[in-house]
Amino acid sequence: MNREQLFNIAHHWFEQQGWKPFSFQVQAWTAFLQGKNGLLNAPTGSGKTYALWFPVVLDYIKSNPDYKTKHKPGLKAVWITPLRALSVEIKQAAERVANDLGTGLTVGIRTGDTSSADRSRMRNKMPDLLVTTPESMQLMLASKGYKDIFKTCTAIIVDEWHELLGTKRGVQVELALSRLKVVAPKLRIWGISATIGNLQQAMEVLLGPTPGKPENAEMIKAHIDKKINVISVIPEKMEAYPWRGHMGLHLIDEVAAIIKKSRTTLIFTNVRSQCEVWYQALLDKYPEFAGEMAMHHGSIAKETRQWVEQAIRDEQLKAVVCTSSLDLGVDFAPVETVIQIGGPKGVARFLQRAGRSGHRPGQQSNIYFLATHAIELAEASALRKAVKDTVVEDRVPYLNAWDVLVQYLVTLAVSDGFNPDEIYKEVKSTFCYQAMSIDDWQFCINFITRGSQSLQAYDEFKKVEAGEDGRLKVNSKAVAQRHRMQIGTIVGDVMMNVKFLGGGYIGNVEEGFISKLNPGDIFIFAGRKLELYRIKNMEVLVRRAEPDAKAQHASWLGGRLTLSAQMSELLREELYTANTDTMSAEMQALAPVFLRQRKESIVPGDHEFLIETFKTREGYHALFYPFEGRFVHEALASLMAYRISLLSPISFSLAYNDYGFELLSDREIDMQQVLDNNLFTPVHLHHDLQSSLNATEMARRKFRDIAVIAGLVFTGYPGKMIKAKHLQSSSQLIFEVFRDYEPDNLLFQQAYRETFEHQLEEGRLIMALERIQRQEIVWKQCEKPTPLSFPIITDRLREKLSSESLADRIKRMTANYMK
Amino acid sequence: MILDIQINNCDFILHCSGAMYWTQQRMLLISDVHLGKVSHFRRHGSAIPGQAIYRNFEKLDAVANYFSPEKICFLGDLFHSTLNREWHLFEEWAARTAVPLMLVAGNHDIISPHKYEALGVRLQSEWQLDGFLLTHHPEERTGLYTIAGHIHPAVVLGGMGKQALKLPCFFRSPQQLILPAFGEFTGTYVLQPKKEDMVYVITKEDVVPVTA
Repeated sequence: MNREQLFNIAHHWFEQQGWKPFSFQVQAWTAFLQGKNGLLNAPTGSGKTYALWFPVVLDYIKSNPDYKTKHKPGLKAVWITPLRALSVEIKQAAERVANDLGTGLTVGIRTGDTSSADRSRMRNKMPDLLVTTPESMQLMLASKGYKDIFKTCTAIIVDEWHELLGTKRGVQVELALSRLKVVAPKLRIWGISATIGNLQQAMEVLLGPTPGKPENAEMIKAHIDKKINVISVIPEKMEAYPWRGHMGLHLIDEVAAIIKKSRTTLIFTNVRSQCEVWYQALLDKYPEFAGEMAMHHGSIAKETRQWVEQAIRDEQLKAVVCTSSLDLGVDFAPVETVIQIGGPKGVARFLQRAGRSGHRPGQQSNIYFLATHAIELAEASALRKAVKDTVVEDRVPYLNAWDVLVQYLVTLAVSDGFNPDEIYKEVKSTFCYQAMSIDDWQFCINFITRGSQSLQAYDEFKKVEAGEDGRLKVNSKAVAQRHRMQIGTIVGDVMMNVKFLGGGYIGNVEEGFISKLNPGDIFIFAGRKLELYRIKNMEVLVRRAEPDAKAQHASWLGGRLTLSAQMSELLREELYTANTDTMSAEMQALAPVFLRQRKESIVPGDHEFLIETFKTREGYHALFYPFEGRFVHEALASLMAYRISLLSPISFSLAYNDYGFELLSDREIDMQQVLDNNLFTPVHLHHDLQSSLNATEMARRKFRDIAVIAGLVFTGYPGKMIKAKHLQSSSQLIFEVFRDYEPDNLLFQQAYRETFEHQLEEGRLIMALERIQRQEIVWKQCEKPTPLSFPIITDRLREKLSSESLADRIKRMTANYMK
Repeated sequence: MILDIQINNCDFILHCSGAMYWTQQRMLLISDVHLGKVSHFRRHGSAIPGQAIYRNFEKLDAVANYFSPEKICFLGDLFHSTLNREWHLFEEWAARTAVPLMLVAGNHDIISPHKYEALGVRLQSEWQLDGFLLTHHPEERTGLYTIAGHIHPAVVLGGMGKQALKLPCFFRSPQQLILPAFGEFTGTYVLQPKKEDMVYVITKEDVVPVTA
């Protein structure tokens, strides 16, 4: 069959549905059938699944003209999705095409939810099309005979690649692809990505770096212009606006009004606890929403989430309070309005959320922005500018992630074993490991075969062993089983299942939260008031509590988000307008706050760098306002604390938010000396940062993930879990052992490098310091906290840095005695 | 490096390593060394730096040389798990230390008693001595003052400017004293003292009494 005939089949199918294929879909079919690899840049809900499932099926028809009568067995294509919740939707789309065209192709799902019975059935008879996750993909590489399964595969499609890029799961995908390219000679690789700043690089990471312009790769863009309206929710009276806080409940009436005038509204919150609180607050104040409102976040039972998703589609719900759990995936046509509570921190995420509304052709997307504290209002107008100019951030891919490589090598050793020379070439061909040296590689091999340094006499290290043929293999069944259990790169707090006494799974919460509760305590979770009955085998048994009982909300630590570089810049520009007469509506609304701020301090303009100092009961506060986003402030705070601590012995507690940072101490900082010594200089930055890192806990925390991924810490068997506290303390201990005995270990150094590259963003830091150098420093000695300082000094998540001896510090401290 | 204390008219010297010397008995008390833990991890495929194995023996040598005790009593969890090659290092250490050794067995001590006996280590489940009860698990018994381990106690100190420090400690209450874990590569458990308790935190160089 030639391409025209194949396309006729496709066009005919679209006609039957009453649709017309988009040009990007046809472009994708063409490129795929030409045997090209590529990246499709298309937003969620644009028909991207048909852009790539179709050519997979057409390609099968092409090479099997008698496809209607004779089924050719074997895996044809793999679709990788970052969220297993999306897999059903993707399977259905594939099945629709496969069945309607009468191909007899089967579609299967293999994720962490797949039962072991189903998995072994799959091993015997693979479906033709497989939907899976990066972790399950690795698990397949860890099973014997994987080469036979994949050798017939013609395509790997990586969905939502922008979500994976910039994470270690993305590195997992890179490694799996490097192997499958060799195993399956006819393989094409396609990625699907929403708009990000570095699309070209995203393609390079997916396909592997090639010198010059890759001829066989194509970037296809779906030009779907949709108008997005950003509307700030500004209250009548600004005086009532809280200076800090992250809930935003003071605007509940405004939110209810928006819900009432729209068909379906999605209310996005940034963290799960905020989601719970909003859901409850809306129900309490507007009981009429009961039955028409639901909640959706990652800790709620899968069945409940699926029910909510279906109810949105069926237009049964007026409002859904959710988290990033509804960022991705499926279309929700009835959604007319989106409300964002609190700063979304990034433009890409904001656009994605805005795009959840107005799916009908010709409709606009409406997104309301609700600032949770006063200064956050400035983010609203910054966001509007970002949306107008489509300023989108980059996702920075990982480089030299040795922990993921070590895990991958053990994975290969667990299945069929591997030939190091062969795999070296493949690994080296990936984006992540393109700069890997022979020594680096040898380290990784040593690490898995000899446990790094080996002490010949007493050592009993055992993991991967070399066979007579030189292949590296895991021989121990126990090692293999432990490794399979551990595959993955997401390290989180241990989650505990919450169940009713009489049975019925509700969802899961972090162990850290539950461990603070006693039996009989009431907490709110998944919108219900629950009484803790007891904890047994990693299960939290609860029963329904009285509706009027006093309860606390379940909390999740979760990752705190930070402003991207692009957002920070827009925000700075926005704040700098405070001293001009070209203020946006949001900035004008902030007038009362600025008035307060100016009482003792200033609202800095673009040529000013503001420092505030004041004393409270807690000690001496020094606040600095670079407006560079949380991560840069984290780095700047430890840098400044470190440099000041060199002047004289002192101990600091550090706090930061997206606007500035605080150094808190029990003695006064000599600020004049800080200014006289030009401590903001970019000179010796790298060295000073490195030293300050040693003095704080940042790298130590990064090491925790690395230790788990690299298999240094075993997280436990299912049902026989080691408690998270144990994992935490052991990775802490392991960090110390490495620091004391093997500081040149690449995995140990990776913790520092990652802190530099992914957390501290040294490049941004240098630019920030250079900018500060050009600004005039304005040091205000205040009587009491200012509105700008308030959200920072009340933050409880803090870093520590000290240049005093332990003994000196202990003398001024007291034990936390039981009252 | 050391701190002198008195309990029930007996003199004890607390050492920053976590060991404690009982002056009248000329006996060194050491708890929770967890020998063999690094080897145990390595044997199970976790590549903890092997060099760390020697550190415990260096510490044991140092503290034995410092006090030159007439006997040494381990308050349980001497070995972390099943027998492994660190046993040979322990044998060598026992030979060069050349004083009577006792082990009050703890929950981790699962190595066969015959191995200890062969080495001349006296093994018992508890030991009553001069009004004191030496045991692994803390417990209060009428008429006796308990010296125990097991908990790996630590305490959190707080101060102005939101300062906080977590440090391992000797944890003393009216009826018992809990020793910190002596071993490298062992964790801690934070205890909250009551009014009647006394806490001596240890750092690399010092033993410091904590004020309430």
